[in-house]
Parts: sequence; structure tokens; C-alpha cells
Amino acid sequence: MISLLKHTVSCWRTQGPHGCIQSHMKILFAGITNYDVPPDYRDVVLPDKPKLKFLNKVPNFKKAKKEAKKLRDIQGPAQAATTFTTGSFAIVALGGGYIHSGHIEMIRLTINRKMDVRTTFARWRINAPYKPITRKGLGQRMGGGKGAIDHYVTPVRCGRLVVEVGGRVELGEVGPILTEVAKKLPFPAKVVSRESLAAMQAAQAEMEHNNQNPWTFREVARGNMLGIRKVLSPFDLHNHGRYTGKFYLPGRV
Amino acid sequence: MAATLCGKLLTKTGWLHPQTQCVRHMAKAVTRHRRPLHIIKQKLMAVTEYIPPKRLAVGAYPPDNLKVEVESSLVLLLKTEVKKVFQDCKMIAVVQNNASTSEDMLTLRHRLRKHGLTVKFFPNQVMRSFLMDSKFCNMSSLFLGPMVLIVSKQGKVKEMLSALRASPQMVLLGACIDDTLLSAQGVQRYSKLPSVTVLQGELVSGLTLLTSRTASLLQHHPAHLAALLGQHAKQLEAPIAATVEPGEGAVGSP
Repeated sequence: MISLLKHTVSCWRTQGPHGCIQSHMKILFAGITNYDVPPDYRDVVLPDKPKLKFLNKVPNFKKAKKEAKKLRDIQGPAQAATTFTTGSFAIVALGGGYIHSGHIEMIRLTINRKMDVRTTFARWRINAPYKPITRKGLGQRMGGGKGAIDHYVTPVRCGRLVVEVGGRVELGEVGPILTEVAKKLPFPAKVVSRESLAAMQAAQAEMEHNNQNPWTFREVARGNMLGIRKVLSPFDLHNHGRYTGKFYLPGRV
Repeated sequence: MAATLCGKLLTKTGWLHPQTQCVRHMAKAVTRHRRPLHIIKQKLMAVTEYIPPKRLAVGAYPPDNLKVEVESSLVLLLKTEVKKVFQDCKMIAVVQNNASTSEDMLTLRHRLRKHGLTVKFFPNQVMRSFLMDSKFCNMSSLFLGPMVLIVSKQGKVKEMLSALRASPQMVLLGACIDDTLLSAQGVQRYSKLPSVTVLQGELVSGLTLLTSRTASLLQHHPAHLAALLGQHAKQLEAPIAATVEPGEGAVGSP
């Protein structure tokens, strides 16, 4: 205290009153913070059962029939469940693949456990497994016809929403849960909101509109230039080279 | 015949006849892994890649088509000469030179030289670039093709026109006389005007005539003066009476 006083006095002597005050004064001021307007949840209606419901592992068929492999059911872009219904956040598939009951249980348990039931609800956008996958038993010799049905799967195409979350929540609350789930799916998937999905679609449309390349896959494939359809798949006529099988090639028009 | 047919069919390069082309029909649905692409499809994918539009900040770079025109020293010299001509000379006539031979030009110059008129040659580009910046910018449309300037420090329009009459291959297009732009007809009309000194003399003589007459009138006898004024007043009243009573005037006049 005495040393501080001494220093002040010496400072007063050397610099005069103003320099002394400026060097030792802390200016306290009150700032103004602009808070964002909270989102309006008045029109959000929570359903009676907000949690993800259990999906049957095995469909309830009287006579189960073995099916062919039919890999085309995961090929190309999705035609169904590509837009939001009631929720505002979702996991969207960025490639084709098969979801089996293990994945479905993982999604259901994770989301049901971590989400806040009072403010959030979740909805399936996929069906229960319905496609039979056959396996031959362990140690069985080859031949003797097709194996028995081992399990059932749900085919998911690129661009399909898998699970949808809504309610009085923001992306920051449910995003981590959905990201955790999306990482474990058997195809590339990511979390989207209504706005980001619309932005993705708008960006794709903008790319197609403003492409500076005069040669587009669509024109070349449709016109069969230089007989190129010899090496193109019929799917390329529809997908314009944006998909190869179940894989999605981003950044193409 | 066959050659022409083939020529017609194969005019579009890169397009094949429907019977000669072959199309892959069955889709190979191996989708668990990425199928290796056919080399031609790889090329197609490489060719048809997305190219984003160029986006530059506005004004960040000068446009490519902008050319900074640096005028050479010769052009600058010629421009100073043109400027000097426009400053000094009272009359600048623009004349089109329609294939006149050097002999014609020589005689014309000689004829003009007698009256102190000179013929100047300047490149049209120089003239136009000079005129664009000056107050004579309306003249710049005249400078197309082979053009000649006839300049004089005194505005000797009549002499110039008489000299040009002798050489029909030189066509007068317009002139700038005393900072006034004139067309060819305007120059003709200007040449017919008497000179300024003559006009001034006429004006002065007219004014002095009136005053001298008034002075001589006033120097007459007062009775004579009164009679003259009375006659003048009558003359002023007479047309008024004639308009009011035309019948009386007609009867009384004989």
C-alpha cells in the first residue's frame, strides 16, 4: 500500500495529474448485447408417443419367400421420403445401402435414450426390414439349392431421410445425437435441417444452371455422341453420371 | 450417288448412323463396390466436369479488353501543331481532296499563297483526338477520308472560294470562321457579305444624315418651320379621317 502510494506520488510529480490518472484508472463500461430472437415454437405439436417405436426384425409373413439379390433397390437416387414431413432435422443418406435390425435398434436406442422427451419427438422415415437375405449354414457343402433366410434388411437409396427429429429443439441440441448415429450407418450419411437440405438442393440447381462447361453428361449421353452409349449404363441416361451403383458422386452436374 | 449419300449422312461429325451404333442394354448392377469405369467413360467424366463461373470482386482487376492508349511523341507533336493552328487562324476550312494530282495541288497552293492562305495536312486520327477534347468537337465528323485544311490568319473567304472554283477536285465541306462553324453554303453566304468596315461606315453615314437634316431644318425661318410642322400634322390626321369616313373622302377628292 505504501509502495503504491509512493509510486502514485512519484508519478504525480513526473507526469502531472492527467498522466497519473490515465495510467492507473480502469474504465468500466456497460456493453449492449443483442440476443437473437428465440425461434417460435407455438405451432409445434408434440405427438402422444414422441419416441421412436420398435420396428419388427422379421416381417409377419405367412409364408416367407426367398428373393433374388436385386441390388438395384439401393442403386441411384431415392424416390420416396426425400422431403421432411413433421420434423425439422433428419439423417439423410448420401449413398445406398442396407439397414438391418441391428442398425435400427442402434438408432432407436441411441435417440430414445438421449433425446428430451418433453420437447422432442422422433419419427422413422424407413420401413421395417422386409427384404430377406439368405445364408447357407456354417460348414455346409456348396450346392443343394438356395440357403435359408437368415435375416431381413431395409434397402435405402441415396437422398432418403432415415429418421426425422422435431419439436421445440434446435440443431445444436439434437445435432450431436444424430451425428453419432449417422456415423454408424452402413452408408455415408449426414445430419440436415429443413434449411440446409433446401440449400443443398438449391446449390445443385445453381450448379446445373451456371455450369460453364459446354459439354454436359446429359447431352453427350442422350445424343449418343461418338457412340458413347456403348460404354454407358442405361441408368446413366437418367442419373447423368452422378451415381455409380449405390455410390453418389458429389460435385457433378 | 453412294458417295453423296455417305457425305450427307456423315456431315455431322461425332454422330453415328442408328444402324451402325451399338448401345449397352443390360445394366450391370454390381453395386457393392465401385465398378472400374471404362476408359471412354472415364474420359467422358473428365470432359463433362462441372466448371464454376468465374467470380471476381467488382473492380478488383481491370478488364481484359481495356487498352491503355499511349500516344506517341509524333502524335503529341502533331497535336500541338493543330492546337497552334486553331489558336492562331481566323478561318479554318475543311476541304475534301478527291484524287488531285500533285500538280493541281501545287497550283492551288500557289494561288492560295498569293493571298496568305496555307494548306495544311494532318492525319485524321490526330485531328479527331484533338477535336474530341476541344470546343470544336462538332467538327470531328468532317474528318473522314482524305482531308485538307485551308487556313488563314485573316478570314479571306472570297479568295479561297475563287481559288477552289478553279480546282473542282477539291470540295469544300465546312469551315470554322471566327469560332463559328459554317457549312459550305454558309461559307458562300458569308463571302457575299460586305466587309465590317463598309457596314460600319454605312451605319455611321445613315445616323449622321438624319442629324444633319434635322439641324438644317431647325436653321430655317420659324414661319417656314411652322408651316412644315402644320403640314406634317395634317398628313398624320388625313389617314385617320380616311379610315373613319371613306364616302366623304371619295366624293370630295375630285
